[in-house]
Amino acid sequence: MTGEIPSVETLLDSPHVWRGHGRAHSSAGLSSGYPALDRCLPGGGWPLHALSEILLDDYGIGELELLMPALASLTARGSEPKDQDTPAWVAWIAPPFQPYPPALAEWRIDVSRVLVVRPRNAQEVLWSAEQALSCGTCAAVLLWPARLDDQSSRRLQLAAEKGASWAVAFRPLQARREPSAAALRIVLEAAAAGTNLSIIKNRGGQPAVLKRFFKHTSGADGG
Amino acid sequence: MPRTRKQPARTWEAAATPEASGPVIVTRAPNASQYLLPLEAAPPRMETRQSQTVDRLWFCVYLPKLPLEAMPVPAGNPDGARVLCEDRQGMQRVLLPDGRARTAGIVPGQSASAALALMADAVLIERSVECERQTLENLAAWLEGFSSCVSIAGPNVLVLEIAGSLRLFGGLRALRRQIAVGLEAKGFDANLAIAPTPLAATWIARFGRRACIREATNLMPVLRRLPLRCLDWPANLCATLKGMGMETVGDCFRLPREGFVRRFGSRLLMELDQAAGHLPDPRTSWRAPERFSARHEMTAEQSDRQLLLNLCESLLEDHEHFLLLRQQGTQQVRFAFFHLRAPATVLCVGCADVERSARHWFELLKIRFERFSLPEPVIAVSLEGGPPRPLNRHSATFSFERRPVNGASYSMRQLAERLAARMGDTAVCRLGTREDHRPERAGLLQTASSFRPAAKSGASQVCPAAQPGALSAPQRPLWMLPEPERLGVREGQPWHKGRLHLLSGPERLETGWWDSHGISRDYYRARGPRGHTLWVFRRRERQQADDWYLQGYFG
Repeated sequence: MTGEIPSVETLLDSPHVWRGHGRAHSSAGLSSGYPALDRCLPGGGWPLHALSEILLDDYGIGELELLMPALASLTARGSEPKDQDTPAWVAWIAPPFQPYPPALAEWRIDVSRVLVVRPRNAQEVLWSAEQALSCGTCAAVLLWPARLDDQSSRRLQLAAEKGASWAVAFRPLQARREPSAAALRIVLEAAAAGTNLSIIKNRGGQPAVLKRFFKHTSGADGG
Repeated sequence: MPRTRKQPARTWEAAATPEASGPVIVTRAPNASQYLLPLEAAPPRMETRQSQTVDRLWFCVYLPKLPLEAMPVPAGNPDGARVLCEDRQGMQRVLLPDGRARTAGIVPGQSASAALALMADAVLIERSVECERQTLENLAAWLEGFSSCVSIAGPNVLVLEIAGSLRLFGGLRALRRQIAVGLEAKGFDANLAIAPTPLAATWIARFGRRACIREATNLMPVLRRLPLRCLDWPANLCATLKGMGMETVGDCFRLPREGFVRRFGSRLLMELDQAAGHLPDPRTSWRAPERFSARHEMTAEQSDRQLLLNLCESLLEDHEHFLLLRQQGTQQVRFAFFHLRAPATVLCVGCADVERSARHWFELLKIRFERFSLPEPVIAVSLEGGPPRPLNRHSATFSFERRPVNGASYSMRQLAERLAARMGDTAVCRLGTREDHRPERAGLLQTASSFRPAAKSGASQVCPAAQPGALSAPQRPLWMLPEPERLGVREGQPWHKGRLHLLSGPERLETGWWDSHGISRDYYRARGPRGHTLWVFRRRERQQADDWYLQGYFG
């Protein structure tokens, strides 16, 4: 072979070369607002345009607090006057309790851009989630499905890609052993000293465990 | 023809207003001999008046085969020869055979049995005047797109004033072609004629000539040559005139006016004068009803849902066209499915915003139709539009970013409608806040029917509270229970799946004394045995230590 030796960058730019981690790195994540968590996630934050799962058994251990900074930045992005029409809605589908608007407002979430959907059965939960994800107007869709099999999670994942939306499914801990198409799976477990966060599936990254992610203190700290 | 016969009386009243400044005739009572006299004496004045008025041009659509064309094609034998019959003195007589029946020798006036003897497989159709009227009105509504003045001049005649529309539609030729092509596409065989007066246009169209007369000076030569049968005068009158040697309209014009009136009445002379343009011929312009209403009848019962959906779609397309002409939209449409042996099943589809697009309505209908059950096969489908509203289109800025590539994007409003269409209005809510210290009342749920595009005041609803991650903890829980839940008490401490540890508090809320929902509570943050953080309160009204409730979770 004669001539110039191509540099590594030129080789990597060639369409014939496929790199396994390229895809995950290419899309920048949405900063979670928690530097410790951002460091573990491949895009430096929540994987947008994909399905994330949060597995937990008890509500009230910080599962919403985990998402709040990211949701706040999403809704704030859409309310700027220059892109009034861009997707900036957050849909809550089948939440176990009622999301409390004043508390959301405390987290700087634009409550006028929150849509709460209460389907009547498990099938409608998935249907409305798919509709909300693929419509392209919801920046994030949070859903609490009664059950979510492999096939449904794949559908949700595809819908999220199609509508460029961020899907978050809250599931019980026992779903940990079931396969899922989610890009990210996080387990939240309450322990005596605080809530432990462990990443059990991390597309393009490594599993990780963050002990005492939300610390319990006797004082006024939230959890 | 009853309609034209009534015409003169009405015309007289109507003529009185525009001519108030003009000739003597209108100030008098409509007495024949009186009003005719000045006419005779004043032909030159007629001409001066004509030059002053704006030139009008009337377009006549004459539908000789309307009774046949208005009837739906029979489903069982769509290609068969069709013969329209009418009940005349207790006997079925042929009124109008179609082309194939005509070649077989069937002629109007024959008895139905004679027609069947000539052609055994001919389909006999009973005439329906109601159907014809409906078809004519639909056509009139369609023609309203070409002119603001469309008038139904007889059971199968429509006239429209087109002088004002010529520029918009690119000239007479283009306008005429548009109407002709439209009529052909709708399956009508029509005679078209254009003349400066509506009656002249009607007569020429009835004669069958495709004439186009723009100038009033060219009108008389054409009119003079028309045979009397085009005038739709009573048959015995035509016979009398023929007996006198009158063959054409021109012959009538040559008769002495006074004698003509004495013998045949003033009305016929007035018609002649109106056709020639010597007398005004004001027409009441027909107005389509404000609300859309259409019905599709089927010849046989159907239970094929896809077929019914297709019918609904075509009805919605008509609905869209109806609203488009009026620049309006509506918020509700109502379908009714009629059965032979059961009362009609009604399906109402609502929409949060004013909408007219057939595609949008059809999407909503499809979702509703999926879970809509029809008890019986359907024989007819009707669609009624809701009250029309002016369209309020929200203008949006151009956006070049974050558009889904497949273009399947739709707005939040549409999403909410789709969800509500399937799961009911109460299933889809928006959140809001209210200035109230009572936790139950500070949050607000609005159903999707009140859905409006994103409120601009959104930013003002965000309280200037702590930055996320800052030191001060959130004051309010993210999860609320629909109703406070009574907690058990053990050893003087609240109990919820284990003993609760109070973390912070109390925060005393004592408010609402002005209405019947006043509260007096001490709120605490508490940690449960499994690590979750709760928001609990103790009621103070009862002065009891064990009156604890759970209000929400800090998610």
